[in-house]
Amino acid sequence: MDGTERETRISAAFVAVADTLTTDFDVVALLHTLVEDCVEILGMKAGGLMLADGAGNLQLMTSTSEAATLVEVMQLAAAAGPCIDCYKKGAAVTVGDVEADASRWPDFAKAAMAEDFRSVLATPMRLRGKVIGTMNLFGATAVEISARDAGVAQALADVATIAILQERLISEGHLIEEQLQHALNSRIMIEQAKGVIAHSLSLSMDDAFGLLRKYARDANLTISSVAKRVSDRELAVQEIAKGAGHVASR
Amino acid sequence: MVRRTEPPAGGTPSLVDALCASFVTELGVSGASISVVSFRGKQSAVSSSDAIAARAEAIQFAMGEGPHWEVLSTREPALCPDIDAEGEARWPFFIEKARELGIRACFAFPMLMGSAIVGVVDLYSTTVRPVDPGFIVRASHLAGRAASPSVQRAMHSAAHHASEESPRAPALRREVHQATGMILSQLDVSATAAFARLQGHSFVTGRPIEELAHEVVRGALVFSSLQDEPSGSEGD
Repeated sequence: MDGTERETRISAAFVAVADTLTTDFDVVALLHTLVEDCVEILGMKAGGLMLADGAGNLQLMTSTSEAATLVEVMQLAAAAGPCIDCYKKGAAVTVGDVEADASRWPDFAKAAMAEDFRSVLATPMRLRGKVIGTMNLFGATAVEISARDAGVAQALADVATIAILQERLISEGHLIEEQLQHALNSRIMIEQAKGVIAHSLSLSMDDAFGLLRKYARDANLTISSVAKRVSDRELAVQEIAKGAGHVASR
Repeated sequence: MVRRTEPPAGGTPSLVDALCASFVTELGVSGASISVVSFRGKQSAVSSSDAIAARAEAIQFAMGEGPHWEVLSTREPALCPDIDAEGEARWPFFIEKARELGIRACFAFPMLMGSAIVGVVDLYSTTVRPVDPGFIVRASHLAGRAASPSVQRAMHSAAHHASEESPRAPALRREVHQATGMILSQLDVSATAAFARLQGHSFVTGRPIEELAHEVVRGALVFSSLQDEPSGSEGD
């Protein structure tokens, strides 16, 4: 991606967030798009965004794929890896060569290598001096991450922070911690709904998420609200399958 | 794929007790207790801020009546800012006992994980305690924050892993929530009941819940094919 195209993409990401100021929007879908944009703009392979819960643990909010292997890499990175280091330091952590650095976080390095991730950029999401989470990007080649790329990632992480804290589902004046927990609980709701859809239609978790996302987009609803109706048994899975042109297997 | 093999760490007594105490300090009530919905509709108390809170909760279990039970059936907070004003109509047996304990106001809030109610927080005050929307929002938030550590503490003590407690309670992994969704679909029950079944199976088999969840997600463990467990665990 050349410089001009890159600037255009970055501006577009900011505009997407600015839109959330005036309209009802879907925080899960927005964060998903932001992480996808960031991966593409910086020429990385995969990425994800984690938020800290009330106990100070990082939980995965969104990732470029819902595949269990990527989720596992993220979870290991948040247990003992670049993500938790980034969260604790409140500063970006870069790994130019995961293999060369393997002794630092052996479990994480092993899982990352298995996914062909060779470089990592973990960027803090900060609000008034408090770190609320991290945005994590993984590259396919061993390469030192430039200060410029790190700067772009930080700008987009800041945008993501704004997006989360402006979520319209929450009325004004609530504490940041409440907003974060609300976001994390909608993620749990989405996982439960994925389970319902995956079982009912014999799909993978990744495909179940895709179906949920498509249905929400087509119906102009938030992913979380559709997920809630699915796990509360108010919305039949067959409706979602129908909307997506998917043939239900049972 | 890489999987962690160690059992999930539980919340330490100090973490859950601190969360329990935070209801008292942050909401200005007299006491709080946290209990977790578990296997076969049983409840286990995981923390109480004082003896009256523990007693009030035990009385509700024994009588099958009170704000705690109202939360489980309505899924909404149960609020009684002045038990004298309510009269005896709402919870006749509980209110009589509560008065003997010096309780003047009582409240209960659901602990939610997604669509599943995993437990209830009971609060009491020795004075009349009017509530505003801010109180309800704050209490609901504190209850949500306590959900995962409380469940993990309950599972941990059930598994007798007391010596392995860690200073932090890591969040339950995604597969636990995915498995909850699969089980609710398999058994055609609520998310609350599905999670209780998963927890119950972990208790009965002595295997970590995250290991079972992984098998459910892979399709190796199907709850609709399980013969050996009594039904009646459903809270709905």
